Parts: sequence; C-alpha cells; structure tokens
Amino acid sequence: MAGVLVLGGLTEGEFDRSLLQAAGAAAPLANAMGAPLMGALIGPSLSAAAEAMQCGLSALYLAEGTQFAPYAADAYVRAAQAAIEASGASTVVIPHGGVAREWAPILAARLQAALVMNCCAVSVEDGQLLATKPVNGGSVLAQFEVLGDLRIVTVSAGDFEPLPTGQAVTPRHLEVTALPDAPVQVLSEEVQSAEGVRLKDAKKIVAGGRGVGGPQHWHRIEETAAALGASVACSRPVADSGWVPSRHQVGLSGTTVAPELYIAVGISGAPQHLAGITGAKMVVAINTEAGAEIFKRANWGVVDDYEQVLKGFNERVAQLRG
Amino acid sequence: MNIVVTVKQVVDPNLPADFISVDPASQRIVSTYGLPPVMNGYDANALEAALKLREAHGGKVTVICLGDGASRNTLKRAHAMGADAVVLLSDPAWADLDSAGTGRVLAAAIRRIGDVNLVLCGRQASDTDAGQVLFWIAQELGMPAVCPVARVEESGEEALLVHRLLDDGYQRVRVRLPAVLGVSSEMNDPRAPSMKGTMIASRALAPTWTASDLALPPVQPKLKMRKQDIQLRTSSARLIEGDTAAAKGAALADRLHEAGLL
Repeated sequence: MAGVLVLGGLTEGEFDRSLLQAAGAAAPLANAMGAPLMGALIGPSLSAAAEAMQCGLSALYLAEGTQFAPYAADAYVRAAQAAIEASGASTVVIPHGGVAREWAPILAARLQAALVMNCCAVSVEDGQLLATKPVNGGSVLAQFEVLGDLRIVTVSAGDFEPLPTGQAVTPRHLEVTALPDAPVQVLSEEVQSAEGVRLKDAKKIVAGGRGVGGPQHWHRIEETAAALGASVACSRPVADSGWVPSRHQVGLSGTTVAPELYIAVGISGAPQHLAGITGAKMVVAINTEAGAEIFKRANWGVVDDYEQVLKGFNERVAQLRG
Repeated sequence: MNIVVTVKQVVDPNLPADFISVDPASQRIVSTYGLPPVMNGYDANALEAALKLREAHGGKVTVICLGDGASRNTLKRAHAMGADAVVLLSDPAWADLDSAGTGRVLAAAIRRIGDVNLVLCGRQASDTDAGQVLFWIAQELGMPAVCPVARVEESGEEALLVHRLLDDGYQRVRVRLPAVLGVSSEMNDPRAPSMKGTMIASRALAPTWTASDLALPPVQPKLKMRKQDIQLRTSSARLIEGDTAAAKGAALADRLHEAGLL
C-alpha cells in the first residue's frame, strides 16, 4: 500500500524537533492521498527518539546500530532504502539540513526517484504532489510537480508546525547490513563544540558581514553577542575569507536560523543570506549603506558606523540589563 | 590525474530581486537589464581545486558545461584560468532538463572523455540551488560521491583524504578513486585568468557535443516546473535616529528593551 513516510537521521542520537515538523509537513499529504502516515528513524541509539516521535503514526520503523555513528552516507542510504521497502511508501519527507543534503540525493539517485530539496511548502492537488522551494539564492520561489512512483522531498523544518503527540505505535526494527569495503571511509570527526547553544536553536543572534572590516574587528561582534547572551553568526563572505569558522555561517549554504532577535552588522543582505533568516522574528540591520538590501528585510535599521553604534548599544544594554 | 570539472553558467547570484525576471518562454531566471551571466561560484572553486591537483600530480583538467551557446563565455573563463580542454554540451533536447537528466548528460560526456580519475563539481548551482546533479553523475558512473568538501588533505592516485563539512565541524574522509566530489567555497579562492590564458582562450573554440554525439536517448523528466515567483521586498526598516552613532546605538537598545527582546 502506498503511504507517506517521514524519514530522518539522528547521528548523535538526540531527538530533533525538525522530525515532528517534517511530520507536520507530511500529514496533510497523507490526508489528501488517503494514505497512511508512517515514520522511520536512523541512528546509533533511538529509544528516546522513538518515544518522542509518537505523533499518531500508523507505523514506526527504526534502523538502529553502531554503523550509524559517525555518519556515513552509504549506511544511511541503505537504512532509508530498507525503511521505504518495509513501509511501501511512495512519498518520503525528510527534514532538510546537515548530512541529509548528502544522503537524500544519493538515496534518490540510487532509487531513480524524483527529489526536491529544501521545500518551504508541499501539497497535493488533483493527486499530484507539488513542492515549492527557494531558488536563485532565495530571491525566487519555484514550484515543481514531483513525478514518478517514488517521490522524495526534504523540507525546511522551520516552515512547518510540529505534529502534536498522538497515539503510540510499537516500533519495528529494520535489519541493515553495512557494506564491508565501502569506497568512502570516515577516518575521524572533528566536531567543534560550539560555545553555548547551537546556532539553529539560538534565540538571539548577532551576525557580522564583510562590513565589519576584517578579523581584527570581529571582537566587536563577539562583545555585543556576549552583552546580549546571543550567539555569533556571519555571512558567507566572512566564512569564505576565513575570519570565522564556517559553522557560524547563516544562509542558504549555511545554517537556517529562526531567532527572536537577529542583529545584522555590516551585512549587505544578499538573497542567499536572507534565505537563511526567513524565520527570524525581529531583524535589526546596522550598516553604513542606506541602500543595502538588508534594510528591506529588517524591522529596525541604523545607518551609521557600526563600531560607534555598537559602543553606544553595548553601554545602554549594560545599564538596562544591570 | 585525469580530472573533469563540471561548470554551469548562471545569472549573477548577487543581483537583487528587482534586477531579475523570469523569461516566460524558457522559465529561466534572467537579468532584467542584460547584465552578463557568470560562472557558478562553487564551480569556480571546483576548477581551482582541479588546477591545484594537476599542479601537484600532473595530468589533465577538462571542463564540461551543459548549456546553450552563451555558455561559451563561462568555458572561455575556465580555459583562461588554466583548463587543458573545454567542451560545450548543447542540444535543443536538453533545454529543460531536471537534475537527474542533467546528471545523465554530464555522466555520458565524462564517459566519452574516458579514464577519468576524479570529477569535481560545485556543491550546488546558485540559480537552481538544487545540489543534486553531482549525485546523479556519481550514480550513472558507479562512483562514490562526497559533498560538501572543504579541503583536500592528501591526494594520491588511488584515493583522496578530504574534509567533508558537518553542521558543527567536519569529517576526515578517505574516498577511493574514481570519485565525484562536491566542492564548497571554503576550499580555496579561485584564481583570476592569466593574461596568457586569456589570449589562448580567446583564440580557441570549444567543441560542442550533442545528444547524438553522446548516443543519449531522450529521458523522462522527474520534475516539472510549474511556476517561479520573484520575491520582491517592498517593506523597509524603520530607521533609528540620533545625534551621533553612539546615540543611535543607545536608542536601538531602548527599542529592543521596550519590545522585551533584551
């Protein structure tokens, strides 16, 4: 029987809200198709995640084992194949981001399935799956008909409401064997434990762009972030220039964020950066160029030299918070 | 080392939304004011990586580009940067290919080039932001794919040791050759075309391979474009005023405090 399968990987084993948001994207598709909504998780240790994933699914499959950490694409793809086969799903919904950017397209190519990644909207019209995603760096929204017998979408989780807790099902375990002599071998993993919260979960973010002027000035961004208890982020030119590690990069090719407050300092507002902050509630832009694109996205703007602006800002914040 | 680099010509990704439009006939995104298209940024990183590997190991770098005649400009730049050979893949039948179809054409061209050890692609194109083609190439050729790659730590004839980006770090990955890599912008700064390269490129004419050259039958599309909407931003920020920059900063703090954001 055809069905809709919500599929996600948990490399570290901890549950991620994005899976329930992907389920929130998938549930209306299952309704429109009159098909069951099912789930599948891949990871080294899934007992807690399997409980958190109980959102009224008609089946839940687990591919659990040591071969899923550290992440290796082939193991994830094999697990995903096993889940699709066991569930008989014809539509697969995967939370976008991180390593799914690699294993989802490998899965699609291996199964010759249609794939649209980073969708901000999905729907079924006249039995046809439609997927909408930002293209051209986020300055254009493209809508596709997703064709064929097996259709895969990855969804930008922040654009969907999570499915609430629902009736529980007993998970079923999948047997997934690893390829003994895989052409891609992970030798080691260098994870820079980010100071404080992960960027994608941060409530406040202070982000710097090329307008900051150079790595020797970066401490001004860090000082303001510290004053607010905010996370530090950057635009792509800053990461590309090596001023700060690329894990701080916000945008289409970096992290998508959805903070309460996003302060963009010396950021011009290239479409690919703005595409990463669509979920930000309050955006403040500080820039010397009054014509910068960022001011069209920002709620509040300050047109002036950022160093002096931040100096006055930090002093006042210290008074208000002290 | 026999390396193939795939490149795509795209509308300049830095153009704001009110400088672009959707061509009704082709459904392509074009510059409203006729500003010239550019080589996709990540593809330039891929080409730079290929040129560095050639400098270290010898061999040949062939650049292939699927597109219409206008894409010759991007191939000229690739040639001028130092590619040994460039090939344009062009056929009316390929005008509206999706990622799977594009991957099939590029894979067929790579097969025709023959004895390829390494295929380097940009991690995604800045116009479609699909990030799929390199994986379809890999599937067609039966090669492994790794993406996004930020660094080549070691390179040999049999395998490469590369850094694959994670959200919060990277993996050191050994990938057996032949393989397909999706190159990210952290990898390098693409070189500017040299004077000599520009002269050579200006005199050369890239050969064109068509569907019949590659013996490729038409393929069923997996995706059909319905529409593209340009996201024009019309709203603008409320500007904070003040006598000095520092006063504006203090006023900003007050506003955020009132909004309960501090």
